[in-house]
This record gives sequence, C-alpha cells and structure tokens, in this order.
Amino acid sequence: MSAFVTILKKELKAVTRERTIVIAIIIQLFIASFSSAILVGLMSLYDPEAIGLSARIRLRVGIVGDRSDPLVDLLRQNQVQVVPFETLEEASEAFSEGRIEAALLIPQSDTGSGRGLRHVSLFLPESEALYTLILMVLRDPLKQYESYLREQNGIHLKFADIEGRPSTLHEFRYGVILPLLMFFPAFITGSMVIDSLSEELANHTLDTLWSAPVSLHVIVGAKIAAPVLLAGGQCVLWATLLYVNGILIRNLVLVLLMATLNAAIIGVTSVFIVLYFKDRERSQFTYSLFILLSTSLGYAFDVSPVTVITRLATGDYYTGISDVAVYGLVLLGLLAGLFSLNKKLLSRVA
Amino acid sequence: MPFPYLYTILLIARQEVTRIRTRFRGRASPVAMVLLLVGILLLLLTFRRGVVQGKGLYRIAVSPDGPLIQDERFEVTTVPSSVRYALLDAGAVDLYVDDDRVVHYGAERSLYAAGALKTYLEKQELARAGQSYGPERAFPLRVGVQRFPIEQARQEEEVLIPSLMAPPLPFAQVVAVSLHLFPVFFVNVFFTGGFMHEKMDRRITVLLSAPVTPFQVIAGKMVPYILLALVSVVCVAALLKGNVLMALLIFTPVVLFTFSVYLMVPLVYRTFKDTTFISMLATTIITSYLVFPAMFSGINDLSYVSPLTLAVKMYRGQPFGLKEYLTSTTPMYIIFALAMYAGSRMLNEEYLMRFRPLYRKAADAIYLLISRRHLNISIFVLSLLLVPIVYMVQLVAMVVSLNLPIRYAVGTLLIVAVVVEEVAKSAGIVVLIEQRVVRSTKSILLLSCLAGLGFLLGEKGLLYISVSIVSETMLSAALFGAGMLWLPLVAHIVFTSVVCLLTARLGARSYPLALLTGSALHVVYNLAVLGVI
Repeated sequence: MSAFVTILKKELKAVTRERTIVIAIIIQLFIASFSSAILVGLMSLYDPEAIGLSARIRLRVGIVGDRSDPLVDLLRQNQVQVVPFETLEEASEAFSEGRIEAALLIPQSDTGSGRGLRHVSLFLPESEALYTLILMVLRDPLKQYESYLREQNGIHLKFADIEGRPSTLHEFRYGVILPLLMFFPAFITGSMVIDSLSEELANHTLDTLWSAPVSLHVIVGAKIAAPVLLAGGQCVLWATLLYVNGILIRNLVLVLLMATLNAAIIGVTSVFIVLYFKDRERSQFTYSLFILLSTSLGYAFDVSPVTVITRLATGDYYTGISDVAVYGLVLLGLLAGLFSLNKKLLSRVA
Repeated sequence: MPFPYLYTILLIARQEVTRIRTRFRGRASPVAMVLLLVGILLLLLTFRRGVVQGKGLYRIAVSPDGPLIQDERFEVTTVPSSVRYALLDAGAVDLYVDDDRVVHYGAERSLYAAGALKTYLEKQELARAGQSYGPERAFPLRVGVQRFPIEQARQEEEVLIPSLMAPPLPFAQVVAVSLHLFPVFFVNVFFTGGFMHEKMDRRITVLLSAPVTPFQVIAGKMVPYILLALVSVVCVAALLKGNVLMALLIFTPVVLFTFSVYLMVPLVYRTFKDTTFISMLATTIITSYLVFPAMFSGINDLSYVSPLTLAVKMYRGQPFGLKEYLTSTTPMYIIFALAMYAGSRMLNEEYLMRFRPLYRKAADAIYLLISRRHLNISIFVLSLLLVPIVYMVQLVAMVVSLNLPIRYAVGTLLIVAVVVEEVAKSAGIVVLIEQRVVRSTKSILLLSCLAGLGFLLGEKGLLYISVSIVSETMLSAALFGAGMLWLPLVAHIVFTSVVCLLTARLGARSYPLALLTGSALHVVYNLAVLGVI
C-alpha cells in the first residue's frame, strides 16, 4: 500500500511541477464561459423572450396605410412605438433622419372578411445586424397577426395557450454545459494515463520500477488513480462554479460520483490502449478515436452517461443510485480484466 | 537534381512517410483502420440524426388520444387519464398531455418542459394545418421585406411567412462545416508525433548536424501531413456534396493555420503530458478562432474573420467576393509564414532538449526570434506582431471574467488587459537586458520608443481592419474622430520605459515588480482617460 501511495504522490507532484494542467483548467473554464456568452448572444436572436430582450428594446415603426388594422394594435401591445405617415416618402425621410427604425405598409384589406392572402410590406435598414435585430423584435406581433388571420379563416391551432417558460437556456445548462464540465476532466484523465505510461515505456523506466519489489498492479493502479483524483477535484471545482452562477445541481454527490466513475472507466480503458500499442503517438490517436466512437455509440444506443448526469442533476424521478451503480460495475469488470491481463500485455515489451 | 534545396525537403518528407508506415504495419494497422472507419460512419450517422441538446431531459405522460411526440428531449409514456394527478403530484412526470391540453404542476422543471413542448407542438400544429387546409388558408399572411432607402423603383423583395420564419442562425451548417476540421486535428497528432520521435532518442542532433537547415526539416516533416489533410478536406467536401475546388480554396489556408499552431507544440513541450495539454490549447485556439465567428455569418459582417463563414456561404449556395476571401484568409497565410520563421529559429538542439519552466521557454523563444544584427527593427516588429495575440488573450480574459459579478469583472478586466499589454511591449527588451545584449539607458529608451510605436501601429491597424469590415460608418467615426494619436503613443512609450528601466536597474528577477509598477501607472492613465478619476 505504501508503494501505491508513493507512486501516487510522485505522479501528482509531477503534475504540479509541470503546471501545464493549469492550461487544461483554463481551457475548460474558457469553453464553458465562452459558449454561455455566445449562447446568450445567439438566444437574443431566436428566443428573445428567454432573456427578456424584446421588452428592453424600444422600436419605432412607421405605419403607412390602414391605421385601423388589428396589426397596429398588436404592435402596440408588444411595446412597439407606432408612428403614422401619409406616404412612403415621408416615412423614408423620417428613417433617414433617424426618427423611425423600420416602416410597415399596410394596404386596406379588400373585404374585411379576412378570406385569402394578406400582404404587407416591411422596410428595414440595409445593415445586416440591424435587419436581423428588428425582424426578431417584430416576429412576435407578426406571428400574432398571422394567428388572428388564421382564426378568421376558421382554422384553430391546438395547444396555442400552453403556459411555460422558455426552455433553451435550461436545456443548454443541463444538457450541454454540465455534462461538458463533468466529462472534460475524464477525457483529460485518459490522455494523462497514456502520457504517463508511454513515457515510462519510451524511457525504459517502467522495467526498472517493475524490477523493484513493486507489483505491476500497484504501478498501473497508482498511475490511474492520480489523474482520476485530479478529475474528481476538477469536477468539484466546476460544481462550485456552477453553484456560484446560480445553476443548481440536484443529487450533487451522485453527479460527482458518476463523473469520477466515468473518469476511472476511461482511465482503465486507456491503459489497455497504451499497453497494446506501447507508444504515445498511436495510443493517443486510438484513444481520441475511442472517445469519439464511444460518445457516438452511447448517443445512438441510449446508454449515454451524459443522459444519466443530466437527469440526476435535474432531479429526475426515476434516476438514482442504481443507474450510477451500473457504471461502478463496469469499472470493476474492467479493472478485473486489466489485472488479469496486464502482465501478459506488458511482457511483450521485452 | 536541379533543385538540391527542394530535394532535401522531399527526402525528409519521404523519411516521415516511411516512419508512419512502419507505425501502422503489422497488428496495429487493422485495429486502427477498423476503428477509424467505424468512427467516421458513426459520426456521420450521429450528425444525420441531428444533435439534440438535453436528450431525455423531460418526462411526459400522454393520454391514449394525445398527440404524437417525437423529439429526443421528451421521454414519453402513454398512461390512462385516471392516474395523471398521481403522477404529476409525485413529480414522476413533468407534464400530462391529452387531446388538446397540457397540464403542468407548477415546479420549475415542469414549466421548462411546458415551454419546450409548446415550441414543439406549435410546429406540429402548423404542419398539420398546412396539410389539411392548404398553404394559403393555413398561412394567410405574407410580409414582403425591402430595404431602405425606398425611392428606387421597386426593388426585389424577400417574402416571409412569420410563423415559418427560421432563426437566422447557421448552427447546423457551422457544425457541418466544422466536420472538415476533425480529420485535420487527427493528422496533427502524427505531425507532432514526428517531431517528438526525433527528439526522443536525440535523433534530431544527428539530423541537424547533417547539411540541412531547420527550415528544410520542418517543411519536409510537414509536407506529407499537409497533403493528407488536404485529401481529407476533399473527401469531406465530396461527402457533404460541396464544391470540391472551392472547398480546397477555402480550407488550404485553414490547414496551414492549423499546422502553424501545432508546430509550436513539439517545440516547447518538455514531457509527454505537456504535449497533451499544449495540443489541447492549440485545438481550443484553432476551434474558437474559426468556429465562433462563423456562428454569426449572415448576422454580422465581422464573421468574415473566419474562413468557415465562407464555407457556410458555399454550402448555402450564396456568393462571396474576393474582398471577403482575402479578409479571412490573409491572416492565416501571415500566421503560417510567421510560424515557419519562428520554428526554424527555435529548432535547435539546446532549445528542444532543455527542461525549463514554460515562461523560461517562452523567453528563450523570444530571444531566438530577435535578430542580433537588427535589434531595433526586431523589437519594433515583435511588439507590432504581438498585438493580435494580446487581443486574443484579452478576449479570453473578458470571456472568463464574465463568471464574476459584473462590477468585479470590469475591474479585473481593466487590470488584466493592461498587464498583458505591458508584457507584450516589454518582453523582448527585458530578454535582451537579461542576456546583457542591451545595457545603456539610452538604448533601452530607444527600444522602448520603438516597442511603443510598434504596438500602437499594430493596435490602430487591427482596429482599422476590423472597422473597415463592419459597414457601420458611425463606429469608425467614433474610433478615429478624436484624432488623438500622440497621447496614447507617449503613454505607451512611458510605461514601457518605466518597466524596462526598472528591470535594468533592479535585475531581471525583479521583472514582475517592474511590470506591476508600469501597469499601475497604465491603469491610472486609463482611468483618467475614461474620466473615472
């Protein structure tokens, strides 16, 4: 046991001495923050309600034509300031003087019965960014107007009045950011195990270590344990960061356990890979392929640990310790396989 | 052989190909091949199904006469209506849906589920209405969109149907276009591996003692992988049914850029673990630089800093001009040229083999980059070229600082940005002071002036380029209207001189202290300019 602790300490010390793990931590922080920032930016375009943006933008729209049309009321209800004009030329002038941001041409509707197609014309600025922004704000009133016309046509859509909250941000937090932060450390674990073992193999130092009265199980075990510990630590760090940012993780202990188990499973698998190929280059290549493959496989066959983490963190009724235990069993199986095989795999080095 | 210089490069390239082939001979080859093929296949299948965020996030109970819900976010069970309240009260399901109603139980997750289902069912209902009533009755509103100014005779108009308006985001296309990058990342594992292999048994010593230049070594080891990467680009473009020639035109500079970043990995690494972390850094830099701007293609013209925006346009069948092409690809070629220059200066045994802290490695690299015969020009160019990197670091700092409460975030950012700038301007000079190449106060002052001037030129140049892409003229007016160039120039020079002179007086070990002093002055100056004090 003391040999195990010694090697473990040595591994951890090497990591702190090289300090490059700091790079990995900054990268994760950067990816998570950047994608949140980007998401909030993008969301303002396709789900403005979600961040309450449309309420904050005061848009002035010039109206030419039928001012009694229901569309004008709908615009007002959506906090759009309506400015009437007699002709398009006047509206155009007002636009160039900066008094309005957009203009709508609403022709008199022919019959008033609402049958048939209704055409309106919308005039927007040339700039791509303003164009997108204004269209996004006007989308809601225009959609409501369309529903109104549709009702006039005698068509009723079901489920139109569900109350709920915009879900994009919620889905992104629990479906993307949380799994990303919980699995990235695991991904690093595998790489570190491969680096550590292949470096010993390349420098022929493993033989020396092995010939000392230390069993191979202890060496390999410690080399897996060190990065797994680091992964667990990183996950705790990310959970804290999420908590500070107001993202609540339910079943926190199970989520962390699951993330650490996953790191250990990946760590053991990468020992198989590196003992098979012996050199860093091919091992890392195969390992990256393996990660890619297992992620897509998990996705295709619905056994993804990502789903388990997401469900645990959102407090799903049916997900609990038994789902985590399954992964514990997988780890035990892999470890058993490793310890019965690793002497055979390694003996081929000589 | 008429071109002996090129011939040597080809010779080294051939050696590299042989090395890789022996790696994948024997029992390794079938395993890797099968894995690779299955991986590609699965990846394609996954992408075909579309990437869902938050798979299985919501649980929904549907009555037997309820709507069909086919969305991977929802885990759907059919239940008789008699048990619905029991299920909802227990929180076992988030929603109960019957023929025309959705019932939630008020908890947060239930409300989010309702919001998500609302968007989904709305789409379904619209499709149903379109099918049963025909497009004219189901979608009775047409909005013709035109651009200001109006006076021109009728322009062509874009016709929109509000309920079918797609978000303007090219998400899916950006993901598809990023597929081109995947194989390139994989190829780079072997490219860096090639150098590590040389370093491992000190083979590089033998190689460099032969009559070859470092440039030839780098070029020779790079050529096979660049070709391989280009082949993969062609394959992916063909698979995605894009224009292969156009894809090559767009992705060749991207591939060169990728290799320039990865070239730095084997040059600075000390242990295997370093390689992993530094490669990760390289991948992150490349991906964020290329992918994130492309997310805004069609929304903001600044997206043209990334060539992926051009690729998105290509797959959409939209045209782009030579100006856009040059805007996004010229930086890539410049970076490649710089990396090749830096690489050939850094590729020597002593630099490669020494185990030193990373900041020392960086300092040594700067020292190697500076031409001893043209100190003044070197320092000027160095601080000019560091400007884009400074901006990148500041951008990262900004993004990361968003995790702090906004007041602290702004404060931290102000300080970090200043420190980064001061490091960029003074690093070259301080390295020269440390190596005792420069000693006199006069020459330190001269170099500080040049560093300040170079930095300011770089700063304004970058600003000019980015502003000229953005069409909004008001922005450029705001930035250049003040017409104050001499004040920032003097300020830059003064702060750099303070840092460098203090370092010269107190010794290189006190550089951090000198840096803090210069930065403190800079922060005070910034606050004064901003009108805070």
